Amino acid sequence: MESLRSFLKQSLDKYGMPFPVDKRVCSGWARDLPHGGETIIFTSCMYQIEPVVPTLSKFSSMAGALTGALKGLSSFAKLVKPPKEEMERAYTILNNIVNALKRRGINPGYLYEDEPYSGALLLESGLLEDFADHAKKVASMLKERGVKRVITVDPHTHNALTRYGEFIPFDVEVVNYLQLVDVNRKIDGEFTIHDSCLYSRFLNLRDRYRELMSKSGIKLNEDFLVTGRETSTCCGGPIALINRDLSESIAEKRAQDLNRLSNRLLVMCPICYVTLSPHFKGEVKDLAEVIL
Amino acid sequence: MTWEIAIERTIRNNVPRVYNVLEKYPYILDLAKELRKAKLEVLNNLEMYVEQTVESIKRIGGVPHVVGDSREAREVISKIIGDRKRVVMGKSMVAFEVGLREHLKSLGKEVWETDLGEFLIQLANEPPSHIIAPAVHMSKERAEELVREALGDLPPNSTHEQIVARVREFLRDKFVNAEVGITGANAIAADTGSIILVENEGNIRFTTVSPPLHIAVAGFEKIVPTLPHAMMEAMVQAAYAGLYPPTYVNLTSGPSSTGDIEMKRVSPAHGPKEFHLVLVDNGRVKASKDPDLKEALLCIRCGRCHLHCPVYRAIDGKWGVPPYSGPMGSMWSYVVFGDPKPSLLCTHSGGCKEVCPMKINIPRVLEKIKARAWS
Repeated sequence: MESLRSFLKQSLDKYGMPFPVDKRVCSGWARDLPHGGETIIFTSCMYQIEPVVPTLSKFSSMAGALTGALKGLSSFAKLVKPPKEEMERAYTILNNIVNALKRRGINPGYLYEDEPYSGALLLESGLLEDFADHAKKVASMLKERGVKRVITVDPHTHNALTRYGEFIPFDVEVVNYLQLVDVNRKIDGEFTIHDSCLYSRFLNLRDRYRELMSKSGIKLNEDFLVTGRETSTCCGGPIALINRDLSESIAEKRAQDLNRLSNRLLVMCPICYVTLSPHFKGEVKDLAEVIL
Repeated sequence: MTWEIAIERTIRNNVPRVYNVLEKYPYILDLAKELRKAKLEVLNNLEMYVEQTVESIKRIGGVPHVVGDSREAREVISKIIGDRKRVVMGKSMVAFEVGLREHLKSLGKEVWETDLGEFLIQLANEPPSHIIAPAVHMSKERAEELVREALGDLPPNSTHEQIVARVREFLRDKFVNAEVGITGANAIAADTGSIILVENEGNIRFTTVSPPLHIAVAGFEKIVPTLPHAMMEAMVQAAYAGLYPPTYVNLTSGPSSTGDIEMKRVSPAHGPKEFHLVLVDNGRVKASKDPDLKEALLCIRCGRCHLHCPVYRAIDGKWGVPPYSGPMGSMWSYVVFGDPKPSLLCTHSGGCKEVCPMKINIPRVLEKIKARAWS
């Protein structure tokens, strides 16, 4: 476990992310956004880098031969990059979100390659002291840049940032894009839905995105034992780092349950997308790809 | 039948049933809220309530024992049993926690679990896979094979009913001839010293009444302020387990007695002559003073969180240190056994906290335990 912890910390120090990653991959989606500002979009590089995380967790999972694997990983870290198609998809999602914000009169800035990681993985793995240390650094950086409001685009970042206040003094307003945008398209189609656990059961956004879906015309095919607020389950992604086999087994089961309802699946989290896609038979789309 | 099929059927059978119960008897939701408050009051003053319970047990003619850990629990219970040989047990998680059955068997006692699920896992020599349905991992075919092998006299391709009937036939004799009955307690009323036990099979009623000696073994956290609260816990537990109304609620306040001859109180009458309550700490007082863990002690063992948890569903019932499994079991593996590792598998799916009758934020408790796993 100590090896995993030091790997995460070293990566954060060296790459600003919990995994070795070229920050240009994170910022490549944005062209004309102001650098910084009082209101910024905060991606935490989640959509951009998540497509390669399954590959990384294959090496770093505690179920594997940890130390040696991590050493091996570090040596070719810079080579790890999402496939072009996945990167373009992530960039489209982020641009859709920014354009939807602009339509509502919100013109967020962005920190580009200086954008820090939220610390979500530290929090969710129970590395609470490390999370608090990391949060302190992020908070200090945001203060230096004069940031007063951050707009998050994924549930894990939103969860981490909204919890900073439990660990450190933090007075930056954290708001999720779903709370700000409106639908931009009329959709005539049926999907089933995999709710983000964090949005649905921790961050009180379940009703909001369902309202947006309904407004767009999307028909959701649901079953109360599969997609209910209390009965739906996690995709398995958050524990890939700790136990990849278990994560895969949860994902496989979840995808099977969802496939019984439809072959078109809506998700709203990059981790859910990446975790469920290999197991779901059909089309998997992020909400921001469909309604914005 | 694989675990996946067994758990899928269990979910389809149980989850809708709980929702139906809660819809049909909405007062359960209010009782659950009141019970949470009452249990928090006890947890905030746990040692005081243990003392009050001890005094109440004495007042009704029972014998209280307060033990610190599993070893002490085994020693005290062995001493109470003495030379008696034949023991029947009615499902108790704490008895499993302290390793009681195996200990008594090592002393040469004849010990039989009488709850059907517990009986099956005793025959299989396996740990329980669910807090209220210990043999939930077992198919009918596996149960049939076990019972046939151990007891014989079971026709090929026996039905569920035939298997249960064969066990009933076998255990009937054990109940009648048992010298000691050991149970747990769903709740203990501090004000009266009464214990409450909820069940559907009738085995606990037998176990508490038929043998001349009844020993109840329970954790400190089962104490509630008053007898109405204890009844409340029984009702809430049964409802959230999807078994409402429960077939039997057993209330025991000391040994049996009669005053039917000149109103002179004589003990025993038909029930036990002796009643002992063994109250087990095993880390509970420490947890009650730990703000990160206190909530875990509110658990009333309904087993609902298990079926709403993707990790439990995927992991073959083996998540946690037996007898504790699933989301609640991950908390209790640390509270009782000091093992933080199970917590690391929590994906914070959150269904557990949504359906918990005591509104325990289980993922948050597990997050704090995870932090200890790293240190």
